[in-house]
Amino acid sequence: MVRDGINELQWSRRNKMGLLENRFNDNVIVEKLDKLLSWGRSTSPWFFQFGTACCAIEMMAAAASRHDLMRIGMIPRSSPRQADVMIVAGTVTMKMALRVKKLYEQMADPKYVVAMGSCATSGGPYWQHGYHVLKGVDIVIPVDVYVPGCPPRPEALIEGLLKLQEQILDERPLTRKMA
Amino acid sequence: MGVVHGEEMVLNIGPQHPATHGVLRLQVRTDGEVVSEVTPYLGYLHRCFEKHCENVTYEQVIPFTDRCDYLASMTNNFGYVVAMEDLMDIKVNERVEHIRVIMAELQRIASHLLGLGAFGLDIGAFTPFLHMLRDRERILDLFEMTCGARLLYNYMWVGGLSHDLPVGFVESTYRFLDYFEPKIDEFVNLLVHNKIFVERTADVGRLPQDVAISYGVSGPNLRASGQKWDLRKDDPYSIYDRFEFDIPVGEGGKGSVGDCWDRFYVRVLEMKESIKILRQALSSLPKEGDVYQSLPKKIRPPIGSIYKRTESPRGDLGYYIESDGTNIPYRLKMRSPAFTALSVIDEIAAGWLLSDVLAILGSLDIVLGEIDR
Amino acid sequence: MSTDQDKLIAELVEKGLTGDMESINSIEDRVLRSKAKAALAKAKRAAKSQETADPQKKKSEEKSSDDFSSSVNLNERIENMINEKFPGSLVNKNTETHIQLKPDQWFDIATWLKSESSLSFDSLQCQTGIDVGDNILEARYNFHSMKHKHYTEIRIAVPRQEATIPSVEQIWRIADWFERETYDMLGIEFSGHRDLRRILLPDDWEGWPLRKDYQVQETYHGIVVPKMKEGWE
Repeated sequence: MVRDGINELQWSRRNKMGLLENRFNDNVIVEKLDKLLSWGRSTSPWFFQFGTACCAIEMMAAAASRHDLMRIGMIPRSSPRQADVMIVAGTVTMKMALRVKKLYEQMADPKYVVAMGSCATSGGPYWQHGYHVLKGVDIVIPVDVYVPGCPPRPEALIEGLLKLQEQILDERPLTRKMA
Repeated sequence: MGVVHGEEMVLNIGPQHPATHGVLRLQVRTDGEVVSEVTPYLGYLHRCFEKHCENVTYEQVIPFTDRCDYLASMTNNFGYVVAMEDLMDIKVNERVEHIRVIMAELQRIASHLLGLGAFGLDIGAFTPFLHMLRDRERILDLFEMTCGARLLYNYMWVGGLSHDLPVGFVESTYRFLDYFEPKIDEFVNLLVHNKIFVERTADVGRLPQDVAISYGVSGPNLRASGQKWDLRKDDPYSIYDRFEFDIPVGEGGKGSVGDCWDRFYVRVLEMKESIKILRQALSSLPKEGDVYQSLPKKIRPPIGSIYKRTESPRGDLGYYIESDGTNIPYRLKMRSPAFTALSVIDEIAAGWLLSDVLAILGSLDIVLGEIDR
Repeated sequence: MSTDQDKLIAELVEKGLTGDMESINSIEDRVLRSKAKAALAKAKRAAKSQETADPQKKKSEEKSSDDFSSSVNLNERIENMINEKFPGSLVNKNTETHIQLKPDQWFDIATWLKSESSLSFDSLQCQTGIDVGDNILEARYNFHSMKHKHYTEIRIAVPRQEATIPSVEQIWRIADWFERETYDMLGIEFSGHRDLRRILLPDDWEGWPLRKDYQVQETYHGIVVPKMKEGWE
């Protein structure tokens, strides 16, 4: 793209664009490394299938053929070491809470948590007389996205996961954070 | 646990494991391949169902019963409602009875589909799982058309139902039945006579009949061991005595009687029988009738207690209700069939390989929500 | 309330039960009128529950003469047999719905129930533990026979401080887990059970949840166990 009288280098400098912008054909993209990393992380989060109760059935239905979770990049992994997102689907009880914490610690950074269903958000229908129910999984692990519902439809879960992807896209992993 | 011998190791399967159908922990003593003892540990999903029932009213108990066996919540509701109507001497009209039977049988098909698909997944067959979930979605569409929910319905109330059938339900159900009947033959081709599946499940985990009765096993697990016992025929409730259907019993088609293959095949045959019942119920469904006709204004049963059993897709679901005359139950105990089915695993899984233990666990078709309540 | 008023209300309730509402409606004092109406509603409810209790009994007697052997006669038969073979075990309550026993000879009675050929209760359907108040805990067993297709219910009551019942897990193998669950929820000990420990709650949980005076513990391993969430916190 050469204007009359000036060569490319001078045109770039005059328009304050980077040296590489629009100098090559369309299959070259120039971007900051931050954005590249967060784009890569957000579009293929592999989820750790931690299904406890009824919401696990809706999670399985979301991963099945009608509402396909793989088209947004998510594959179910059974081991916490291989997963990025932990979807806590179902009621967490006191007996299970210690294990949830251990599993969360076994996941490698960067890790995210989606609390699916009312039980994982705040105890669900068992909030009043449930002595053995943990009233919300955010008592033991930090949660990024809450998906309400009892159980939430697979479409609602997909919306929650897309919101999580937006959140991940906004991260700047390499930028030094000002205190 | 005792002393671990030098060659043995203790292996924990779960509580988080893709093959344990929920949060179940199995402690397995093995020498590397052959398992000598299996101890299940429960309670990771104990949600205090019985304590809740002592603090909420009788109507409010119904959503809690949904969530116990979340794969078959229509039959859970059905069992509770039948017990309460027996306690309070309420008779419902014909339309309500027919609709209840239709919903229960549709739920039985849906639950068996998921159970069999998950069993195939445990063995390693991923494709039948997707096929079965696809057909289950069509049943969930029917339920959603009626009461708005996909999984936990709160549909059957004491003395009636929460919603009447919508316009077009009967035609949609007939369309579904016509679509679904050939699909069962498809499953039979895919999985039942598949050589790999047969080698992994035939002769594995044999459950003898007297052991099954002593352990209280019921439903398809008991029928696969040769005992012809179905509550819909032997102790009929609602209007099941009007319909004609068979009780499939395990005969050791590919191995011995009562092995994993039998438990699988009995469930496939049961789906066919459910289709028969559905066709009969749909054709005799009365067009007139108010589903809210017999709903009591206040549920205050007389002082007394009752134990009533109904047939859920997993076996005999029993409710023991004790009432003290107020509108809050004094004690409600749910006797879940999966609890008894899981208790037998130590008997039948000892002596097999580690992968066979998972096959046996899958064939029992347990749901942890019902076991832990 | 003075005794005059009590007497007046009792009279008005009597008249109201026979259908005469005029005397209640014609009272000037609003408070007295509403008290009379409340007392009348209570009396009507009590009378109704009396009525429904009787047809209930009649209905159960009618049903029992169906395909299944008559449960009323069955319970009487079992009670007579128990009185002959195990004297002193029966607590005479005279009800048709269940049989009340003392816990001492329960193991022998249970063995006999399973092996006796005319009864042959080979399946323990359900075991419920219940806190009936007055410091008494009860264990209720529902039995069923596959051969003869009849049912029965047996109840055993024990005091709260020394709640011990002989275990029947050698006879019906499912009693193993049922008794562990009753122990877990109510604290009834089953003597002779080979492995009595908690099954649903963690091993270090304190208290017996289904007792009516249960207080939830404050924390469990550092996690706060809130008793009741007030609104949204």
